[in-house]
Amino acid sequence: MTVQEGVLTKRRRRPLPPLGFIISLGFLTVVIFGAVFANVLPIDPLAQNIVDSLKPPSGSHWFGTDELGRDIMARVIFGARTSLVTAAGAVIIAALIGVPIGLVAGYFGGWRDTVLMRFIDVLLALPNILLAMALIAVLGRSQTAALIAVGVAGVPSFARIARAQVLTLRQLDFVSAVRGFGCSSSYIMFRTILPNILSPLMVQVIVLSSVAILLEAALAFLGVGVPPPTPSWGEMLRTGKSYLYEAPYYAVLPGLVLTLTILSFDTIGKQMSRALDPRSGGGTPGELERAGP
Amino acid sequence: MTGFILRRLAQLIPVLLIASFAIWAMIFAVPGGPVGMMVGENATPEEIAAATRKLGLDRPIPVQYFNWLTHAVTGDFGQSLHSRDPVTKLIGERLPATLQLALVSILVALVIGIPVAITGAVKEGSWVDRLLNGWNALALGVPTFWLGILLILLFSVELRWLPSASRYVPLWEDPNQALRSLILPGLTLGLYVSGILARFLKASLVSEARADYVRTARAKGVSERQIVGHHIMQNALLPFITIVGLMVANFIGGAVVTEAVFTYPGLGRLLIQAISTRDYPLIQGCIVVILVIYMAISLIVDILYAVIDPRIEYR
Amino acid sequence: MLHPVPGSTGAAPPLLSLEDFTVAFAQGAGRTRVVHGIDLTLQRGEALGIVGESGCGKSVTWLAALRLLGKRAVTTGRVLLNGRDLSGFSERELADVRGGRIGLIFQDPTSCLNPILRIGTQIGEALRLHRGLTGKAAEREALRLLDRVGIADAPRRLRQHAHELSGGMNQRVMIAIALAGEPDVLVADEPTTALDATIQAQILDLIRDIRRDTGMGLVLISHDLGVIADLCDRVAVMYAGRVVETAATQDLLGSPRHPYTRGLLAALPSLEGPRVRLTPVGGTVPSPDAMPPGCAFAPRCAYAEAHCGNGIPVLQPAGTGHLSACRRLDALMGEWQRQAAREAGRHDPVVQDLDWPNRDRQRELSA
Ligand SMILES: Nc1ncnc2c1ncn2[C@@H]1O[C@H](COP(=O)(O)OP(=O)(O)O)[C@@H](O)[C@H]1O
Ligand code: SF4
Ligand SMILES: [Mg+2]
Repeated sequence: MTVQEGVLTKRRRRPLPPLGFIISLGFLTVVIFGAVFANVLPIDPLAQNIVDSLKPPSGSHWFGTDELGRDIMARVIFGARTSLVTAAGAVIIAALIGVPIGLVAGYFGGWRDTVLMRFIDVLLALPNILLAMALIAVLGRSQTAALIAVGVAGVPSFARIARAQVLTLRQLDFVSAVRGFGCSSSYIMFRTILPNILSPLMVQVIVLSSVAILLEAALAFLGVGVPPPTPSWGEMLRTGKSYLYEAPYYAVLPGLVLTLTILSFDTIGKQMSRALDPRSGGGTPGELERAGP
Repeated sequence: MTGFILRRLAQLIPVLLIASFAIWAMIFAVPGGPVGMMVGENATPEEIAAATRKLGLDRPIPVQYFNWLTHAVTGDFGQSLHSRDPVTKLIGERLPATLQLALVSILVALVIGIPVAITGAVKEGSWVDRLLNGWNALALGVPTFWLGILLILLFSVELRWLPSASRYVPLWEDPNQALRSLILPGLTLGLYVSGILARFLKASLVSEARADYVRTARAKGVSERQIVGHHIMQNALLPFITIVGLMVANFIGGAVVTEAVFTYPGLGRLLIQAISTRDYPLIQGCIVVILVIYMAISLIVDILYAVIDPRIEYR
Repeated sequence: MLHPVPGSTGAAPPLLSLEDFTVAFAQGAGRTRVVHGIDLTLQRGEALGIVGESGCGKSVTWLAALRLLGKRAVTTGRVLLNGRDLSGFSERELADVRGGRIGLIFQDPTSCLNPILRIGTQIGEALRLHRGLTGKAAEREALRLLDRVGIADAPRRLRQHAHELSGGMNQRVMIAIALAGEPDVLVADEPTTALDATIQAQILDLIRDIRRDTGMGLVLISHDLGVIADLCDRVAVMYAGRVVETAATQDLLGSPRHPYTRGLLAALPSLEGPRVRLTPVGGTVPSPDAMPPGCAFAPRCAYAEAHCGNGIPVLQPAGTGHLSACRRLDALMGEWQRQAAREAGRHDPVVQDLDWPNRDRQRELSA
């Protein structure tokens, strides 16, 4: 099928200049740096100063102050820590549960596949945020609960990707060869197959980080995430929303940092998956799964 | 056709069973368990025993679950712990508000998403396409709640055109007021959904445009406009339909957040309130209703797909 | 062209002609040329065969001529329909030509039909566009067309979809769609390649019948000389984006004047036997961005000599109405004639002419 080009398919998409990628990487480096060294920096996210409450951005408070006179920038920096720690923990949980499910389902097939994938279907049937909220309803509100809730919401995507990868790998010669040596199933799954599907899984780690950050912020915004006074971006948006008239910057600036962080992870994830599979670039259902509120 | 629908329904049963069991089991998460929820913290052992018997907790677990399920199936989720109103009544009051918001958001999503998808597909690879891709990435990536806040800042705080907190006014009672309340939340949620819609519809259009039958249509002398609007679009909508289910899931998630931003009295906010007050029967009721709506839509979409696509045998 | 065609009216311009026609595809910043300046003519009612291996530019030539390849394909030269240059046509005029003056059918009929539209709708579309027929009139005409292309139970078929019909039937439907516009010429691009042998023969018979009834011209594109031999008055052999030989069909089959054509003929099992897809000569068609200098066939040609690489051979007379683009044409013609004389009396001179069976020759090349 060589001759079929029409107006709709004029040109192959040229890879975007990775400028956005570089900017994203730079921005994330700053955010991560802030999160890691928040303690060392001469800032205090909890120091109240009621006299200075709701002051607009200035030389001494770059992002202004909140209703208790706390420095919003300091809280944004510590919020990055909350956000990244929750996201990282959640992604680890999601991978630890999701990848083995996908491996087993894909490797054995049959009834194990059916049962496991039905379970994944149930998880998928609930919108991410509802699933997380339901879990928090059970676990009670805490940072750990938020972490687990976000993690469980990420299980299906890891399971599906691992399963799809195993299904294609299982056919290949080297897997049958290893099987021929009489290696155990779990050896083959975790020592032979897993190392070979690490790169798509790594892409998923990045993609899911973006979802996890968004979900954590959404939960905090709804008042069921990491409880105050721990600074968190979503919580700042939630409170800031009450002061839109007096202090618009209160909700805008933390939201901007949150948005840029999410977009940066998206950009990097997209670049990585394009590097892995140059044909991808349009939408795939997998990409939709990652979409959040 | 009936057989096809029945088969699809049958496929939903295991999912519903697992989900309902999980939702039912939530009741045990209440501090003190369901009994504590009924008798309070300072209850005597006799009161506890009585409540245990009354709630049927002395019976085997499967029986307990079955009892709850039979009630749930008839729409009886018990009473709210908080207001003591029947859960069904509370949900019934909020559901229309959410449906109204959904209607407006879907309209916004279609009005923005479809032209974006078609333009992007027709001009694939051009700077217009790249611009629209960027727009879509923003629509998908900017958190709904931040977008909502920005819209409030612009239209309510700065311009003072629209209210910052939305009320529920039924469209048929006062369309003007209803729309004033719905524009901002509708735009917030609609923009997000338009991003999903445009991205997938475009991908679908682009891959259909490469199909052989498109060349045949051109060779027949069909105009480019008709080829896109008639041949390609109709075929592209089919694969698109299969992701509508996933879209609905995201849509529901987006609705919960949007309702919170605009303090809109819908189902999503009811659920958030229920969670923050640990009102378990209400939580259960909300989640079941949302799940059922989601599954009903997925089922309808499946049936629609089979009806539209002549290649699918549904007999 | 040099060869007068019996029955042509002399003064009138040919129905369709390509003059120094080239096609290139935009590739990144540059362009890759895949068709390198070809001249072809088709007289009214004539059947012209285009033959050559896959990738020689047969499809691209005709799709590009009708501007069906989109903006990535850049053409030069002229495409004349009744003496009018198509490049001057607006999209509207061009839409009238496509399907109205020139019908097209393709290789894989099932994927060429819109999967979700009824057969009747797809025929009706052509009837509406080119004959202004709608409603009952269109349905009546669609029924007649299905009947004409030999589809039984036409009323039911009209309401069916492509996936409910066999490949052969779908090709008949494609022909019906092409006939709907009452075109002057049908361009059939490998119309039978995707079909079973028996169905192939039926489709070719159908095309022959229709031509007899309507006097419609035909451009038959195929990699299979056997298919072409059955149906065409004249044949043009294409190799690597150029016409390397053209002659009346009998002439070409009886006395091929180009090494590539002789290779194609040698690969033909027998004119009547089963048609198998064969590589006529060892090796493959060079890719457009790795063209050898000089004669593009040289790397595979058993007769190649050093000077074959010095410039591209042009078409030169090799008999009446016979052109061949080979630098060694004169020498080879003498050799082939002597050979034919030696073998006079035997019934099939061409197939006897197998002095370079593929495997031997490949061994030679790699040695
Ligand atoms: N859309 C396209 N873009 C780039 N190159 C193409 C395209 N279509 C065809 N080609 C190239 O043009 C050459 C001729 O192709 P084609 O006309 O399909 O050959 P055939 O003789 O088999 O019909 C081939 O080398 C092919 O790779
Ligand atoms: S020019 Fe030379 S290489 Fe080309 S066909 Fe003739 S003999 Fe062969
Ligand atoms: Mg071809």
